[in-house]
Amino acid sequence: MLSMETLTYGILALLGVISLLGTYLAIIEKDLVKAVIFSALQSTAYAFIFYILMAPDIVLVYVPVAVGLYPAIVLFLIKKTGRLDGDEP
Amino acid sequence: MEESMINLALVGLGEIMVAVGVISDLIAALGMLRFPNFFVRLHAATVGTIWGAFLPLVGASLIAAGSEFLGQYRWFMSGGAIVTAILILILAPAGSHALARAAYRSKSAEVRPKSVDHLREFLKKEGGEESA
Amino acid sequence: MIEEEVIHFLIVVFPIYMAAFTLYAVRAVKGPTIPDIVLALDAMTYDLAAFLAVLAIFFRSPILIPTAIVLALWVYALDIYVAKYLESKEMGG
Repeated sequence: MLSMETLTYGILALLGVISLLGTYLAIIEKDLVKAVIFSALQSTAYAFIFYILMAPDIVLVYVPVAVGLYPAIVLFLIKKTGRLDGDEP
Repeated sequence: MEESMINLALVGLGEIMVAVGVISDLIAALGMLRFPNFFVRLHAATVGTIWGAFLPLVGASLIAAGSEFLGQYRWFMSGGAIVTAILILILAPAGSHALARAAYRSKSAEVRPKSVDHLREFLKKEGGEESA
Repeated sequence: MIEEEVIHFLIVVFPIYMAAFTLYAVRAVKGPTIPDIVLALDAMTYDLAAFLAVLAIFFRSPILIPTAIVLALWVYALDIYVAKYLESKEMGG
C-alpha cells in the first residue's frame, strides 16, 4: 500500500517537472501569446504545489495574480505592440 | 444506528460518483492526446469537464456530508464543493464555446472532417457586403 | 470504519488523477495551435479543481476548499481573454 508521504512527494515531483517544462517553453517560445499561456501553465502547477504544502491563503492570492491579472495585462500589451519576438533588435 | 446507515449511503454514492468521474477524466485525457485537431478535441474537453469535474465535485460533497470524522465544518466543505460544481457546470461550456468561436473566426485551427461549411460562406458574404 | 474506507478509496484514486494530469500537460506542451494549448490548460484546471476538493477530504482540513472556487473562476477569465484577443486580432477589428 502506498503511504501518504510517498504520494505527496510523488505529486510534488511531477508538478515540479511540469512547471519546469512550462518555464523553459515560456522562455524559448518566439510567439508571445503562446509564451503567456505556458506561463499560466507554470502558475497552475505552482498553485497546486502551494496547496500540497498546506498554504491555502497563498493559493487564494497567487491564483488571481498569476493566472488572472498577469496574462490579462501582458495580452493587452501584446495587442498594442507586436506578437512575434524578432531575432534582431 | 439510523444515522450511520444514512452516512454509509451518502459515502457510497459519493464514492461511486468520484470513481466514474476519475475514469472519464482518464478517458478525456487520452482523447485530448490522441485526437487529430482542435474541433475534435472539443468533444474530449466536454467529457473532461462535465463528467470529469462536475460529477466528482458532487461526489466529494456527498462524501464530506457523510463522513463524521471531519468534524462540524464538514457542512462548509460540502457546500463549497457544491458551489464549485455549479460554477463549473455554467462556466466550462461558456469558455469552450467562446474559444471555439474565436478559433473558427480567426482561422487559427482548421475544420478538417467536413463536407460543407455554410458558416464560412455566410461570413464571407457578410464581410463582403460590409466592405462594399 | 467509514474513515478507513474513504481514505483507502482516495489513495486508489490519486494515481489515476496524476496520470490524467500528465496526459493533459503533454497535450498542453505539444499543442500545435494556441486554442489547443488553452483548451488543454482549461480542462486540466477544471479537473484540478475537482482533485483539490477530493484532496481536502484526504487531508481532513475543510479550510482548504475555497481554493477550488477561485481556481475555476480565474481560469475561465484566462479563457475569455485569449478568445477575445484571437477574435479581435486576426479579424482586423
